[in-house]
Amino acid sequence: MRLWPRSLRGQILLAATLAILLAQCVTAVLLYRAAENRRDSAMLNAAALQLVRISEPQETTRFERRRVQRARRNRGETIDRPRLAPRLPRPIRLEWVDKPAQVEGDQPQYGREEELLALLQSQGVAVAEILVIERKASADPIVAARPRLRARMGREGLDNRNFLVAAVRREGAAQWAVARVPEPEVQRGVQRTILFQTLVIFLLLTSSLFFFLRRITRPLAALADRTERFTARQQAGEPLAAEGPEDIQRLIRAHNAMEARISGLIDEKDVMLGAIGHDLKTPLAALRVRIESVEDESEREKMAAVIEDITRSLDDILSLARVGKGNEPPELTDLAALTAAVVEEFEDRGMPVHIIDHPRIVRPVYVTWLRRALRNLISNAVRYGNEATVSLLEDNKKIILRIDDTGPGIDDDRIADMLEPFTRGEASRNRATGGAGLGLTLARSIAEQHGGELVLTNRAEGGLRAEISLPNA
Amino acid sequence: MTETALTSLLLVDDEASLREPLAEYLVRQGFDVQQAVSAAAARSLLRETVPDLVLLDVMMPGEDGLSLCRHLVEARQLPVILLTAKGEATDRIIGLEIGADDYVTKPFEPRELVARIRSVLRRAGRASSTRLADSPYEFEGWQLDPLKRRLTDPEGVLVSISTAEFRLLRAFLDHPRQVLDRDQLLNMVQGREAHLFDRAVDNQISRLRRKIEADSRNPEYIVTVRGGGYRFAAKVSRPLPDKD
Repeated sequence: MRLWPRSLRGQILLAATLAILLAQCVTAVLLYRAAENRRDSAMLNAAALQLVRISEPQETTRFERRRVQRARRNRGETIDRPRLAPRLPRPIRLEWVDKPAQVEGDQPQYGREEELLALLQSQGVAVAEILVIERKASADPIVAARPRLRARMGREGLDNRNFLVAAVRREGAAQWAVARVPEPEVQRGVQRTILFQTLVIFLLLTSSLFFFLRRITRPLAALADRTERFTARQQAGEPLAAEGPEDIQRLIRAHNAMEARISGLIDEKDVMLGAIGHDLKTPLAALRVRIESVEDESEREKMAAVIEDITRSLDDILSLARVGKGNEPPELTDLAALTAAVVEEFEDRGMPVHIIDHPRIVRPVYVTWLRRALRNLISNAVRYGNEATVSLLEDNKKIILRIDDTGPGIDDDRIADMLEPFTRGEASRNRATGGAGLGLTLARSIAEQHGGELVLTNRAEGGLRAEISLPNA
Repeated sequence: MTETALTSLLLVDDEASLREPLAEYLVRQGFDVQQAVSAAAARSLLRETVPDLVLLDVMMPGEDGLSLCRHLVEARQLPVILLTAKGEATDRIIGLEIGADDYVTKPFEPRELVARIRSVLRRAGRASSTRLADSPYEFEGWQLDPLKRRLTDPEGVLVSISTAEFRLLRAFLDHPRQVLDRDQLLNMVQGREAHLFDRAVDNQISRLRRKIEADSRNPEYIVTVRGGGYRFAAKVSRPLPDKD
């Protein structure tokens, strides 16, 4: 599986997911801190409550305490506890001592000391001395001294927790009042809430994002397909419907306009070339008729050859404008017979062209065009390379139509240039042989029309090798 | 020489620069030539005289050559040779399909045009129904379309053949199950491009066999007859075209 998404939608979804996770982490930390704070102040409040209520040591029986509690419950009085406040374990009875005992492992809590002091003073308690520490419950001497308390601690699972021990001596009092508040359990609910929240937000956001993004990516994908198709065929179709957000619609409309403009230009070019072809061919035909009255036969032959040259160049130019724009579908054709038929045309004119026989290969091709490409390559081979050997090769991936000659080949750095229009090998010397220098360009266009390519290489044993390789699908 | 001995031609082309020298040339070649600058002019001329053959430019302002051609072939049964500037195979085939007897692409060799005029006239004289000449041949699932010069195998795969092979095959298909010797074959296939047949007939036959026989060394269609020549062994049929 690919982890890094490549599509626009995938990447935006990933970015959104990461952003949500980050935001939720921050939220989680904040929520946790808030919970901690609430727990803290709840403990201090609980301690303060004990310390404010009783200013002097008094002997109360258990019976009395219960009576007071019951009365308070009946009055509907409860300890003010905010809804989110952590549930505190039952407090431990206030202890009165002359001097608060210090145990090993005690952690003084100066910050809380001040908070508690402020709390008590706001309730009108005059504090002479204050001491707040945190201590392990099991290390507290009072737990050790009172087995029943110890049992209760065990029952409620408080053994391993800390006590907040708050000792206060009021002004004028001889003894310290020591309140102990067991630390409440850390709330599990908080984590669960955050997790659940994250999940819900994540699902809502990504699913809505998914559908929103589809509105963008669908027209984009259609546009990409359309552009690819247009690049391949240069034929404008119905304009693409402008869908999606406005930016995308603008892009689609711009593409439609561009497509129309390009295909308009191409059409114009084709019409123009067609007109040139027609307009030039008629006077050429007139000229061809007129030279028949030239008495000198060799002169007449030369004139005819020039006219034939011009005609061939004209045909090449017109073909180049037309290649790839045929309305006819490709036809199932025996490539071996096609190659043989083209070679035979040359053989019949007594040209040194040989063929290496190959069994049938039947593929859909544009016959007229492929024949034309072969003809161009073979006549080049004969013209510049003395003789041509034509062979057909096939492997899993490609079908190759190969034309080898025994000529001087082409300088390696000129090979690429040779495929460009109006280029000729050693222009001055071959001027007499004519042609507009479009033969190879046309052959290449025809190879490309078939989804293949034209490759020229110099053979190790000398001579040029031209190969039309077609995909063997 | 009486007037009727001259072959009369009607040349229809809007381009005076071509029409006039061509008419002169044809007159020098012994034809009686009338000229028309447009399809309309041609139609009015045709009301008075009937030429033996019409030379017709395809691209003309007003009514174009193809439309006039259809009229000439269907209503008047006149042989037509199209003069076209377009070289595309499809354009030529359209011309032939609407009934033109032949076509030349501009610029053409005047002598070739004359050869084609004579060949078309010969054909027109021989057979009153020239349409039959265009219907495809069939043998053992193979099809040869004489109009498009297309040979397709029983699976419909196009098997390219050269002009020489086409003529040779057509000669065989016209005379199935007859023994044809080399001279007869040469006679039958010699068209206007006689030079194509400089090579021995045997050579063309072995090429043709490679393309249509399953095993060219053990041929089933084109069989060698000892001492006599060749014989086309398969049954040949020519279903008439669907159109009228």
